[in-house]
Amino acid sequence: MERTHRLELFPDRSVTLLLFQHVKNAAALRKKAMEGSIDGALINPAMIVDPFQILVAANKAVHLQTIGKMKTRTLYAEIIFSLSPSNNISDAFKKFGISDSDTAVLIVLVVDGDKTVNLADIASQVEGQQVSLDELPQLTDTAKVKKMYKVTPQEEKIGTLLDSVVCRMSTKDVL
Amino acid sequence: RHGRAAGGASGARSFPPRATSVAEGGRRRPEIAEGARRACAVWVPVMAAAQAEAGDAHPVMAGAAGPAIGDLGAAGHAMGDLGAAGPAMDGPEGGAGAAVVAEEPPKPPALPGLRLVQQGAEAHVYRGLFLGRAAVAKLRVPKRYRHPALEERLSRRRMAQEARSLLRCRRAGIPAPVVYFVDYVTNSIYLEDIVDSVTVQDHIYSVQKCGNDTSGLHKLGEKMGELLAKMHDEDIIHGDLTTANLLLRPPTEKLDLVLIDFGLSFISGLPEDKGVDLYVLEKAFISTHPDTETMFKALLKSYAATSKKSGPVIKKLDEVRLRGRKRSMIG
Repeated sequence: MERTHRLELFPDRSVTLLLFQHVKNAAALRKKAMEGSIDGALINPAMIVDPFQILVAANKAVHLQTIGKMKTRTLYAEIIFSLSPSNNISDAFKKFGISDSDTAVLIVLVVDGDKTVNLADIASQVEGQQVSLDELPQLTDTAKVKKMYKVTPQEEKIGTLLDSVVCRMSTKDVL
Repeated sequence: RHGRAAGGASGARSFPPRATSVAEGGRRRPEIAEGARRACAVWVPVMAAAQAEAGDAHPVMAGAAGPAIGDLGAAGHAMGDLGAAGPAMDGPEGGAGAAVVAEEPPKPPALPGLRLVQQGAEAHVYRGLFLGRAAVAKLRVPKRYRHPALEERLSRRRMAQEARSLLRCRRAGIPAPVVYFVDYVTNSIYLEDIVDSVTVQDHIYSVQKCGNDTSGLHKLGEKMGELLAKMHDEDIIHGDLTTANLLLRPPTEKLDLVLIDFGLSFISGLPEDKGVDLYVLEKAFISTHPDTETMFKALLKSYAATSKKSGPVIKKLDEVRLRGRKRSMIG
């Protein structure tokens, strides 16, 4: 159901993704996330094309945390910021974080290798149904993603939407 | 190089001058490893003092050291950079020994299925799985003979140029690998691996060996010309155009080209730079692939037909051809 991937460059860290549908308490969850009482990043699945996109963001966030050059204050905030093509942190949260009216939530956890992921704990806080990550493509709002990342029509011919998105994410700070 | 505005830099920092170093005539001492961490304090005044001796009032201005000093001053976080680079460099150098200025190879990344593909002068290229996808990792080889601050700047600039060009290509619809991750600490870049691809170089070799598919090569030349025209119309100069830096996606017959290795690329609208870019490719063709004159002609024809700004470029190419080595400049 959920998916876990070990970061190759940071072998002691693993990224776990959980997807929830028919969520009723998005507002409460968002509040908890802002307070920092949820140990995970709450992301709007409509803006996510593929779990790889999350992994790339998480990898970058962990890298920046390791060298002490995060732009935000927490690792989870940094993941959300890495997803965004803009350098405005609050904008990133607005677009990629969850809003009070959302009915689907993607939760990203980063754990240190040996610690077991307490999935039940997280899942219990969400008033919704956990579904497999395979459902993610159905929740993606492709038009919104294209607009957000400013994907050009020529670009669509040479690669997938995921390619365009990942490229922008990883080269955001070089430009 | 690119004239960096050193306006705010001069006078921003003052370091105690090191008389002994100046007496040596500013010659670099082999014990760079020890000097590396203190590079900011030690080397800058050497150059500053040397230039002050030369009568130049502004130590930040002229010479190759200029950008380095300017950068160090203007950036403001230079110490931080060097600090970050310090541990990365001191590790392998500690092993190499202080007196030897050895070129330590970068440590390979811990990617599953890791294979060393190539050990170039600029970078070591590895293939492996990154975040579940086939990826290519390019780790820059640090040049120990260079001043550490310059090395850091140059490495970062090259990497940034590569990443920038790749993104620019992608935005314009020019096939190039996707950038997965850029690591500014180890100066390495993780890119999409075009699985089961064949370089145009290998393709031409195999076609010529079989000896039956010359029309295919002609078509390939045309497609290459089209692709390069598109790239140059975006003012992207590849900088290292060879048949080994052009890949064909499988199946080869589709002539689906992908440009790689933008490490020496830059942005320029000048026909001169574009002409030189094509000249580099022409020389590569002549030296690596005999009997390909017609193919290159087809390439140029298709380039001229596709690019809107090709006129001046082809003109410059003719001029550059006349310039090269062993060329008479008479007439």
